[in-house]
Amino acid sequence: MRAASAISTRSPVEIEDLTKDYGDVRALDGVSLQTAPGEIFGLLGHNGAGKSTMIRILTGRAKPTSGRVRVLGHDVPRDLQAVRGQINLVADTPNVYERATAKENLELFCGLYGLPRSRALEALEHVRLGSVAERKVKTFSTGMRQRLLLARALLNSPRVLFLDEPTRGLDPRSARDLHQTVTALAAGGTTIFLTTHNMNDADELCQRVAFLAEGRLVALDTPRALKLSLTNRAPEVEVVLDDGTQARLKLDKPPDAAALQELIAASRIRSMHSLEPTLADVFIHLAGRSLEDDRAEETDQW
Amino acid sequence: MVSARRILAILIKDLRDAGRDGRILLLLLMPIGLAVFYNATLPNAHELPTAQVAVVDADGRGVARELRTAAGNSVNVEVQNTRNRLAARTLVAAKDVDFAVVVAPTQRRGPARAEILVSEGASPTAQSVIALVPDALTRAAGRAPAAQTQVRVVAATHRKPGDMLESRELTVLLMVVLLLVFVAMMVVPIQIAEEIETGTLGALRLAAPGPEILAAKALAGFLYGLAGVGLIVLLTQLHVHDPLLFFGAAFALIASLVGFGLMMGLLWPNSAAINTYAGFLTLPLIGLAAAALFVDPGAFATILDLLPFPQATKLLADGLSPHTPFHAGLGSWAVIATWALLGYLILARIASRREI
Repeated sequence: MRAASAISTRSPVEIEDLTKDYGDVRALDGVSLQTAPGEIFGLLGHNGAGKSTMIRILTGRAKPTSGRVRVLGHDVPRDLQAVRGQINLVADTPNVYERATAKENLELFCGLYGLPRSRALEALEHVRLGSVAERKVKTFSTGMRQRLLLARALLNSPRVLFLDEPTRGLDPRSARDLHQTVTALAAGGTTIFLTTHNMNDADELCQRVAFLAEGRLVALDTPRALKLSLTNRAPEVEVVLDDGTQARLKLDKPPDAAALQELIAASRIRSMHSLEPTLADVFIHLAGRSLEDDRAEETDQW
Repeated sequence: MVSARRILAILIKDLRDAGRDGRILLLLLMPIGLAVFYNATLPNAHELPTAQVAVVDADGRGVARELRTAAGNSVNVEVQNTRNRLAARTLVAAKDVDFAVVVAPTQRRGPARAEILVSEGASPTAQSVIALVPDALTRAAGRAPAAQTQVRVVAATHRKPGDMLESRELTVLLMVVLLLVFVAMMVVPIQIAEEIETGTLGALRLAAPGPEILAAKALAGFLYGLAGVGLIVLLTQLHVHDPLLFFGAAFALIASLVGFGLMMGLLWPNSAAINTYAGFLTLPLIGLAAAALFVDPGAFATILDLLPFPQATKLLADGLSPHTPFHAGLGSWAVIATWALLGYLILARIASRREI
């Protein structure tokens, strides 16, 4: 694991030796990390790995058992008041007021942040919900609710935005819109701290990712560096032949290497892809099981 | 630092949301509706019979005043001052009044005199007031009465304080207590439990400290309670003898219970379950409040005296009835204040443990 020591001391999020216990259960165990301004930072882990606990602590909704947490230079939760207006969160559940309209939902938070009420409509327009501003939220689809959450999270122009499973339940278009918004926010200097099960989200969006397993940080680096770190895997290629058949060939096995040479010489290859390790492979290697296992468990529970 | 702006924003949201939540509307409107229903259907034992009297009192000797005094609390005497005998007679003939008293001009000697004009078939109430005229006339003339009467005071039989409340007062009083208990032990917990269930409490906590959120919820409870009590008084047109005491007691009761209501919502964050089952908790509380009105002195009465809702019920009764049946004083306020303090201290402890 590569240390994050090169990052500036003005990190928007600094966590030192963070531990959180719920009774006898240790949810976080000596976690340390930092983020850079304008960085998109991803936190990956199984259900119960401690991701949501960490978000709760970083947003001042839970107290650490030990360790130190600083957000925008302020100790959290001790100086929470100082950062309250500068951070925001898109939660993993659609925690909006169902009986209120979209506009009323945001106007409440305009009141809490001391913003003009007109800001509510602007934020709704920004996430393409302006036309349904007066509609009750209980009539909204999952994607619309997620956009409403995003609008609410952007009301106070946060310097640090926490996203907890932001693409869960979203259709591909809404997920793509979210990616674009997040990328644009980061380009504007907002630090994004997201937790996700979705390896594609992490790979596409995040400049760095951290893997959390049973409350411990088991890896922290760029997605590319993490993938390259899986060096014990043999190079492998997938070929599609001109007759449509597919084959996987491991280049460290002499028969496969010879077969590949023959196919190239005979010009029978229509396409060929190198099979590099994915972020999911790295996670399985480090955590012992796939994040997809969590999804299967969640589905079984339903 | 506590922000009134944030508290107000959450309060307005809660009030608006309450108006859209059928469960809460039912809990608020049911006691009000019952109070109006009972008020309309139960007889009013305190409603006085009325006698309408025309008085011709050219010398202004205060006969009308003396007549009202003589009638006391038994008959409501409505006086119409009239210029002369003819006008008085016209009123009697038209049955615009029950009878007329025409006072003769002042004479130096002899008894004060008056003529009484009464229509045929005068009511028993009118007859009873007519019987009071000679005495009123004598008093107005400032002369010794022609006959002396001996007054004997008959001791009243023992009555429980609650018996001093007439049936309408009693039922409306209990509906007020029901409303306040519903607000504190159901409406307030439902609202906070729903915030926890849906995760909106977490969203609020990002923008406002926990104590401000709880303060807004408590204020919403106070407002529901006081507005509901005000509406009950308005709709039933019940005469509240001491409004300051009555509304002060209502506020004290709601304030003492809301802390426990918030605690219930935090410990039992399931709004549907609270709506379904909290009634089993609230109904015994109403029973205890009612018992406080009629219980004889003893161990049970002592236990009731240590609880806030029986004490508040006594204060409400004192504020409502002109008889001040309980003469509840500082002790009652102290019991309520102690429970209120206890409730908020435990709430603060639970909120801290739950990291709210």
